[in-house]
Amino acid sequence: MTQLKNIILPDIGDFDSVEVIEIMVSPGDEIKKEDSLITVESDKASMEIPSESEGIVKEIKVKVGDKISQGSTVIILEEKDIQGQENSSLESKPTLTSQSEKNSSSQPLSSNKKSDIECDVAVLGSGPGGYTAAFRAADLGKKVVLIERYSTIGGVCLNVGCIPSKALLHTAKVITDAEDTANHGVSFGSPKIDLEELRSWKTNKVVKKLTMGLAQMAKQRSVEIVEGEGKFLSPNQIIVKLNDGSTKIIGFHSAIIAAGSQPSRIPNTPEDERIMDSTGALELKDIPKKLLIIGGGIIGLEMGTVYEALGSLVTVVELSDGLIQGCDKDIVRPLQRRMEKRFENIWLKTKVTKIETKKEGIVVHFDGADAPKELMFDRVLVSVGRKPNGHKIDVEKAGVNVDEQGFIAANRQMKTNVDHIYAIGDIIGQPMLAHKATHEGKIAAEVIAGEKVEFQAMTIPSVAYTDPEIAWAGVTEEEAKAQNLEIEKSVFPWAASGRAISTNRTEGMTKLIFDKKTQRIIGAGIVGTNAGELIAETVLSIEMGADAHDIGLSIHPHPTLSESVAMAAEIKEGTITDLYIKKR
Amino acid sequence: MAIEEILIPDIGDFDSVEVIEITVSVGDKIEKEDSIITVESDKASMDIPSTQSGVIKEIKISVGDKVKEGSVIGLLDSVEVEKEVVQEEVEVIKEIEKVTLKASKPAPEPPAKILPKKDPIPIGESSVVAGDRSNHASPSIRKFARNLGVNLSFVNGTGQKNRILIHDVEVYVKGELSKPRTENMGAQFAPILMPNIDFSKFGETEEKALSKIKKISGANLHRNWVTAPHVTQFDNADITDLEVFRKSMQKEASQKNTKVTLLAFVIKAIVSALKSYPTFNSSLALDEDTLILKNYFNIGFACDTPDGLVVPVVKDADKKDIIEIANDLSQLSEKARERKLKMSQMEGGCFTISSLGGIGGTMFTPIINCPEVAILGVSRASMQPVHNKESGGFDPRLILPISLSYDHRVVDGADGARFTSHLSMLLSDVNKINI
Repeated sequence: MTQLKNIILPDIGDFDSVEVIEIMVSPGDEIKKEDSLITVESDKASMEIPSESEGIVKEIKVKVGDKISQGSTVIILEEKDIQGQENSSLESKPTLTSQSEKNSSSQPLSSNKKSDIECDVAVLGSGPGGYTAAFRAADLGKKVVLIERYSTIGGVCLNVGCIPSKALLHTAKVITDAEDTANHGVSFGSPKIDLEELRSWKTNKVVKKLTMGLAQMAKQRSVEIVEGEGKFLSPNQIIVKLNDGSTKIIGFHSAIIAAGSQPSRIPNTPEDERIMDSTGALELKDIPKKLLIIGGGIIGLEMGTVYEALGSLVTVVELSDGLIQGCDKDIVRPLQRRMEKRFENIWLKTKVTKIETKKEGIVVHFDGADAPKELMFDRVLVSVGRKPNGHKIDVEKAGVNVDEQGFIAANRQMKTNVDHIYAIGDIIGQPMLAHKATHEGKIAAEVIAGEKVEFQAMTIPSVAYTDPEIAWAGVTEEEAKAQNLEIEKSVFPWAASGRAISTNRTEGMTKLIFDKKTQRIIGAGIVGTNAGELIAETVLSIEMGADAHDIGLSIHPHPTLSESVAMAAEIKEGTITDLYIKKR
Repeated sequence: MAIEEILIPDIGDFDSVEVIEITVSVGDKIEKEDSIITVESDKASMDIPSTQSGVIKEIKISVGDKVKEGSVIGLLDSVEVEKEVVQEEVEVIKEIEKVTLKASKPAPEPPAKILPKKDPIPIGESSVVAGDRSNHASPSIRKFARNLGVNLSFVNGTGQKNRILIHDVEVYVKGELSKPRTENMGAQFAPILMPNIDFSKFGETEEKALSKIKKISGANLHRNWVTAPHVTQFDNADITDLEVFRKSMQKEASQKNTKVTLLAFVIKAIVSALKSYPTFNSSLALDEDTLILKNYFNIGFACDTPDGLVVPVVKDADKKDIIEIANDLSQLSEKARERKLKMSQMEGGCFTISSLGGIGGTMFTPIINCPEVAILGVSRASMQPVHNKESGGFDPRLILPISLSYDHRVVDGADGARFTSHLSMLLSDVNKINI
């Protein structure tokens, strides 16, 4: 009885592939077990591959010059004697090499499916990072497909983040400014708030204007927008589940992952419409009488500012010992003082232990020195950070590594561990800021277009659009201390600024941080009205390597808040005249 | 079907804007969002899109007209049924697909299996200038440098306050390009990457840092090895008589508190050989067009220390007698071992000797101490039977194996053989060495 058997290349050690340099048998040859069949050559040595059983050579599956690896079929043998050949079978099962076993978690699958659309660059996610990358790539001559799961492009930033929150913060500022004006002779009375009108303005006049503008610019650039949830199918394909239930496969040469992040949730939080994340808070369903904000970061405090101005009694609870972590405490202090006056409570070092939903309200249990055991609120905003969407897009099918939290590592050229797949924005790490994502999006697009660029910026500024605003860039004092940097700082209090006094907002301050050795500015922190606008000058100064004279000797217009930057620089040089500083 | 007015929508905070272009004509079929006219304010120009789909019936404005929000642009015969609009849109998209959906080349076939790398693909050194450096590069300079692959930490800033200018980056690149080829070869001669092997999977391993001397000498040896085409000439010297003479000198030497070693005689013989073959006492100029011949005789000798290899130099060996040379040798070796050699005691060499005679071995191929052009390797002398022409028998003779590596760009093979023969002759006949 005869049986056909595949003779495969056995384990030859730690080689990916070896080259066949000689074939020592021909079809029809009768061979014995251990007879040499072929000779292969690695970069180290050549090696004869013996037959593992005996029989007649039926077919030779390799030729000289072929690259083969462990598991490749070498010849097909007609076995004479199958007794004792327990392992013989028609189907040889190639075993994985040890290397691939180690990485089995991100073993990409191959796909034989044909792509419906082929493009040079597929961008997954249309937030500020994604659309910037798509537009830049298109401008550089690439055929681009932009995949977005929602019906409007723009991502969190435009639809449920930066932009709508700024619209509401503007309204809040008008209300509180009008309130303040009553103290110096002009009263408007208490505001009448038409929530529906406010919502409609935010949605239709602000957000829509921007998203429609984007859609039009995409059209002008021939960037095709595919609406639906995109997931990787293979290293060169993304499958998009369209809203009508059908699917479309996008084949790409390069992909840019810009899938962003979403609000983190507190475990064991009950499902209830009154427990909101930032998206829910921006919907402005009603003005709750009592609002609890869990998390004293930028997002929480901005929403708190809005709701407080609209009339809610706002309580902020924060786990750590200060609001807005990452910013120097002296910069946060004026904001905290104002909030302490306007908000009902600010509880630091306080933990939320339990959230219960009742018909009449949400009962929240606390564990902290200042907080009561429990208290009822009409609504609760959970703003405890954002988590990346790395686990929602099947990146492992493309061989891209994603960590436990959902972050995808990228290098300074935005490349992931897979050469032609890039990642930008929130999904590659902190800080999760739109202006970081747009900068990275341009880099990714330019690298794909063959330009030699990389992320070289020295600083990414942060802004909290609270009232007063807080902004910082470069090295903070706390960071300098932690890194043992030798610094000199100079602080200009806005109490000495004519402009701040004339707007009745003197709580602000401008702080500049200089490297003691090089005398260059390496950081800045500003609190006060329009701090977010003022920080830009310091970012430019840091990038340009300016020193205090460069800033102080540039003439700043008077009277403006921008003068405060120049004044702080003059304090450093001892040339200030708007303040009297006693010589030491 | 319904005739509708097309109005100028809310265009922002302008009293009126001027029409500068009308992009449609009567009878045109337009889609919602298609632009119909272009208007210009004192700040910008703007396309005004149609708010409806349909056929243009009439245009009521002309180029140059001032219009504002609510002005009538024209009349549109709007398509009544929503469904039709949807269908038409789908058709349009299909048409676009035909025209614009061509990628520059088809997307590649997904590979059957790829082995993912663990980390993001690494890229070269960042060109970002660190905060503690006195030089600074602004973003545009960083971009410029990155494009040329220049690491800015090597660039000196000549601008105000040590700022790096475009010119500085250019000067740096020009400087790098005009460096002699040999210098580049040493640094870049790496045909394929060394395999990265995890040795610990074969057995226990431990890691030990290379000493500083090893790192420096290693880099120099590597450069010398790939720069100078080496040829090594072997020879034997009969030092039977020399040994007898050396031992006879020992008494005189010990009075002068020194010890005469074989190396001292080899140095003396080398000086004599260098005088006979001056090309061995030379260096190649950096442009490789000229040979620099030296009229002084400083001989270096490789010295084994606990930290690694150093090469102290015996200065003016032609003007010193055996005892003086022996003195220099013992002092320099001691200082080398105590790490007390001064820079001045290690420079200015013309020729180097590497002696392993005290340890063992028959022959070895030393690497030239560039920019010198030759090096002599001295191995261990041993008693050998040597044929005696006169008696016809074999005499026991003390034979010293020597090996001369030379830079073949400077020295020809014949000269190499002549040099070792000459040296061998000198060492065999003590009278010929100018003691």
